Amino acid sequence: MILVWAVVIPLLGGLAAWLSGRLGSAFPRWVSLSALALDLVLLLTLLDGGPAGSRWLAEIRIEWIPVIGAGIHLAADGLSLALALLTAFLGMAAVAASWSGIRERTGFFHLCLMSVIAGVMGAFLSLDLLLFYVFWELMLVPMFFMVAVWGREGRYRAALRFFIFTQAGSLLMLASILGLYFVHGTETGRYSFDYADLLGTPMGLATEFWLMLGFLAAFAVKLPAIPFHTWLPEAHSEAPTGGSVVLAGLLLKTGAYGMIRFLFPLFPDAAATIAPVVHVLAVVGIIYGAVLALGQTDLKRLIAYTSISHMGFVLLGIFAWEGLALNGALVLMVCHGASTGALFIIAGAVEERTHTLDIGRMGGFWSSAPKMGGAALFFALASLGLPGLGNFIGEFLVLLGSFRVNAAAAVFAALGLIASAVYSLWIIQKVFHGPAPPEAGIADIGGREAATLASMAAVLLWLGLFPGPFFERTGIGTAASMPTGSEIEREAVTGVAGRIGREKSGRPPGLARHGAGEGPEEMRGRQQGK
Amino acid sequence: MEKLFFLMFAAVAIASGLAVVTVRNPVHSALALIVCLIQVAALFVLLRSPFLAAVQIFIYVGAVMVLFLFVVLILDMRKAVLQAFPPVKKRFVVGVILVLSAQMVAFVFLTPMGLGPAQGWEPTVESIGRVLFTKYLFPFEVVSVILLAALVAAIVIAKERQ
Amino acid sequence: MNSEVAAFFSPGDFLAILPEMVIAGMACLLLLVDIAVPRTKKCVVPALAVLSVAVAAWFSYELAGSGVSAFSGMFVLDGYSDFFKLIFYIVAVFAILVSLRYIRTEEIDLGEYYVLLLFSLSGMMIMASGTDLLTIYLGLELASLPVYALVGFLQKSRKSNEAAMKYIILGAFSSAILLYGISLIYGLTGTTQLAAISAALVTGDVNGPLFTLAVIMLVAGFGFKVAGFPFHMWAPDAYEGAPTPITAFMAAGPKAAAFAVIMRVFLEGLYPAYDSWQMAIAAVAVGSMVVGNITAILQTSIKRMLAFSSVGHAGYALLGLVAGSEEGMASVMFYLFVYAFMNLGIFGIVIMMRKDSQSGDQISHYTGLGKSNRLTALAMLIFLFSLAGIPPTAGFIAKFYVFMALINKGMVGLAVIAALMSAVAAYYYIRIVMLMYMREPEKEFALASSRGLLCVLIIALAAVVALGVYPGYFIDLARYAAFPL
Repeated sequence: MILVWAVVIPLLGGLAAWLSGRLGSAFPRWVSLSALALDLVLLLTLLDGGPAGSRWLAEIRIEWIPVIGAGIHLAADGLSLALALLTAFLGMAAVAASWSGIRERTGFFHLCLMSVIAGVMGAFLSLDLLLFYVFWELMLVPMFFMVAVWGREGRYRAALRFFIFTQAGSLLMLASILGLYFVHGTETGRYSFDYADLLGTPMGLATEFWLMLGFLAAFAVKLPAIPFHTWLPEAHSEAPTGGSVVLAGLLLKTGAYGMIRFLFPLFPDAAATIAPVVHVLAVVGIIYGAVLALGQTDLKRLIAYTSISHMGFVLLGIFAWEGLALNGALVLMVCHGASTGALFIIAGAVEERTHTLDIGRMGGFWSSAPKMGGAALFFALASLGLPGLGNFIGEFLVLLGSFRVNAAAAVFAALGLIASAVYSLWIIQKVFHGPAPPEAGIADIGGREAATLASMAAVLLWLGLFPGPFFERTGIGTAASMPTGSEIEREAVTGVAGRIGREKSGRPPGLARHGAGEGPEEMRGRQQGK
Repeated sequence: MEKLFFLMFAAVAIASGLAVVTVRNPVHSALALIVCLIQVAALFVLLRSPFLAAVQIFIYVGAVMVLFLFVVLILDMRKAVLQAFPPVKKRFVVGVILVLSAQMVAFVFLTPMGLGPAQGWEPTVESIGRVLFTKYLFPFEVVSVILLAALVAAIVIAKERQ
Repeated sequence: MNSEVAAFFSPGDFLAILPEMVIAGMACLLLLVDIAVPRTKKCVVPALAVLSVAVAAWFSYELAGSGVSAFSGMFVLDGYSDFFKLIFYIVAVFAILVSLRYIRTEEIDLGEYYVLLLFSLSGMMIMASGTDLLTIYLGLELASLPVYALVGFLQKSRKSNEAAMKYIILGAFSSAILLYGISLIYGLTGTTQLAAISAALVTGDVNGPLFTLAVIMLVAGFGFKVAGFPFHMWAPDAYEGAPTPITAFMAAGPKAAAFAVIMRVFLEGLYPAYDSWQMAIAAVAVGSMVVGNITAILQTSIKRMLAFSSVGHAGYALLGLVAGSEEGMASVMFYLFVYAFMNLGIFGIVIMMRKDSQSGDQISHYTGLGKSNRLTALAMLIFLFSLAGIPPTAGFIAKFYVFMALINKGMVGLAVIAALMSAVAAYYYIRIVMLMYMREPEKEFALASSRGLLCVLIIALAAVVALGVYPGYFIDLARYAAFPL
């Protein structure tokens, strides 16, 4: 039941925020914030572990449209839970980030924000493909509004582009969902949208391939992978700060999540077939995003391009479909959410104070706003992958894992790291150091911003220095509990455990202490013991 | 023989139907419509439904078309309009009349050779009434509702409102 | 009653047509009532009209599921007709309620307005129940004739008169084509009863060129009635010129009735010849989706835009027929059910925008509505999203169900075209949303709300959301109501 509440609370909170907007503009903020906090706490209770013998930490099935075999089937395993927690957490950060920036129609803004969060939450938790699609679309529309109503000058174009790109991808996915539904139905005589039923559907490789492409289209647009990325820089830079945080921190993750949860397990052979192509796209994305980031003059656009680069790593990690790389991708997803979210918040804070995002007109802010500068430096370092911060763990694991699968890709991807070092430091150098323009001198971050950024920094530090508990609850558990009907997949899963065992020397320090080397069977036993 | 008549009536009906929409003088097109309706009545005769043929002539040719002509004459037939349509050549008119009368005369005199009464069904008024009020009672009633609705609709459209 | 009569119908048959008799009879009675009541108490007429629909609905409910075939197989009471009658009742009541204030604003406050609506309703009901080409054709005429007059009800408006003229002429033309098709079918099979036609198609060899011609005539004739491409030319003009409540009524009521008839004729009568009509219908469906949705983008008048969008929606619904399965049938029925709500809802808002001198029929008139009238704009937003087929609204489930029926029959190509076209459709719906929310209002909005209108809006809104979130019951109902093939 907690899972249902996890989705319903943001929705109800959004409605309450909308209605309370009439009372005053502070009400929606507090209502949203407390709803998300409640959500976070609820989700945290799931960490205790699920019923014995189940691969899910929590699961619920409710009848929905029995005629066509669609049900409300929500479940959380480590992967879902990690991302759901991130959702609630970044949701709070987004509310905090829009605290002073959104003055107009705050009620409606929070309705949109909370609906996006509900949609993302639902997408992370639902195991019924139709339900998943509904949530997938649910996050699209309010996001469109957030960009289009509260965005900057180019918002119409950006919003429309975002909408059309993602909508086209979603419709293709819908076609694939239906295709899978019928393939399964005709093969087994049981028509169902349920993930558990659809796993291991027998089908020819050609069918599997086409169906997989539909899913890939939707996920690759959302992620975004080259060449479906063109909506992203615009949408990110035109969106209000809270919107950028949600967009970069959460929406992109749904694409990655979809690949891990649905694309590979449902179509293992087809995904393996296309993996080399995706590797190339991922590497191109890593380098392309990093290089273009260097050429940007708009602070938010720059951060947006770094997102493309980072999501390239995630894509590479997923399509390596290898235990280490997968875990790396997951960590990177969470850390990217925190670090990029934080950078957007800082960019928003700068914009709020200087009314510009043009890097050329910034400089020397360190002297007047040292705390902000410090925070920016911290997150920029995280973004470039400084060891000790979460992003490093993620990128490192991705490279390590994918090296085994596709060495060339890993090598070229590593090149992207160099570029990321350049642009990250470039931000700091241009914005916070250097000659100050005449009217330089901005107010430093206040308590609210400091608290937000500090909590995000804490997440990064925790994942960087002490990721053991994270892996224990979510990491390895993720790969181990992703059984499919395919041999390839099983090999990958059991391979993870074995390889990690062998690779003790290559493991980052945090991993050694916390049972990361155990096989999936032991892992499960340990969870049941709790 | 029957087929020949059918083709003849059908051809003339179609030709006159086309004339209704192509000629520019409204009086001429009304007259062409009368020709068309008479041909259809003749087709009913071929189908052994003399009653329907008679009704067709009474109602359409006799009542409806005459009304049409009256309306056309009252509304539009000012001198200027009449002059706008040059009169057709007399020889042409006489030709059309002769052809049509020849067709009718031939029909009347040649029928006994080819047309026997219909088998097993008397096309009398009584039998039509029987069918209408038994087998086709429901459609018949629906038609009456349609007519009422059409009447209301026509009045609503035509009525001047304050 | 003598034995000769008893061979054709029994007194029980009149029980079966009780709802139709109530509606037609009340229409006649209302003509008198309209004269009898004084001008100040004119609201008696619409009240009685609603009451009569309610009574008819109650009779239908009592009769539901009896499965009676009356009048020697010309009229049937099955789940299928009951489902469609439910749609018609809803549409009729909604149309009456949204008209109350509008027709006073337009100064066309005549009792005949409601009388004609009831006549049209009775025709639609006969269409849904007709199992004989004769009754079907008569029902069709009874349903359309009053609408011709209603379209031209705005005597002072040139557009309205022109629209009525066009609609009548093209309507008569399409009826003639339809009749010609029916006569060919009759000539080929010797019967007008659908069941007998189906039997004749199975046993006899009628698949000649004449039969193809007959099918084309039927498709063309019905194509006109549902405004499918390329027979849709009348729709934009008629929709634009007509009084807005009538536009709403036309798009939801007679159109649904035409679908009821199309499915009855093609899936019951001509089902054995599925292969020969499937392509024709598929062509009309694809053409409607493509032309309707793409032309809609170019419109500046909201009524014209909705007209083209309704052409597009007819295309989607026809796809369910192309699938030619019971599931396809159920999907069309569910689609029309949902469409009735979202269509009436969105037109309800267009009607609301018509006040005093403000015409509210241009898309640009909606600029900034989201800033000044939040609830209205939100309702409009939900209706637009539902029309665009975005979850979790009912429009999504409706489209989804049609796609499902298609893919189930292996017609993936059609489903993909439909999916792409709904992305195109999303564009012009979203454009209105952007206008409402992203621009400052040019002037104050004056909304002509009335209790009836608000009632319709709230019910339609609730239905659109509820059917989107929890459609199970009504999908079940539609599946149950679909007649077996």
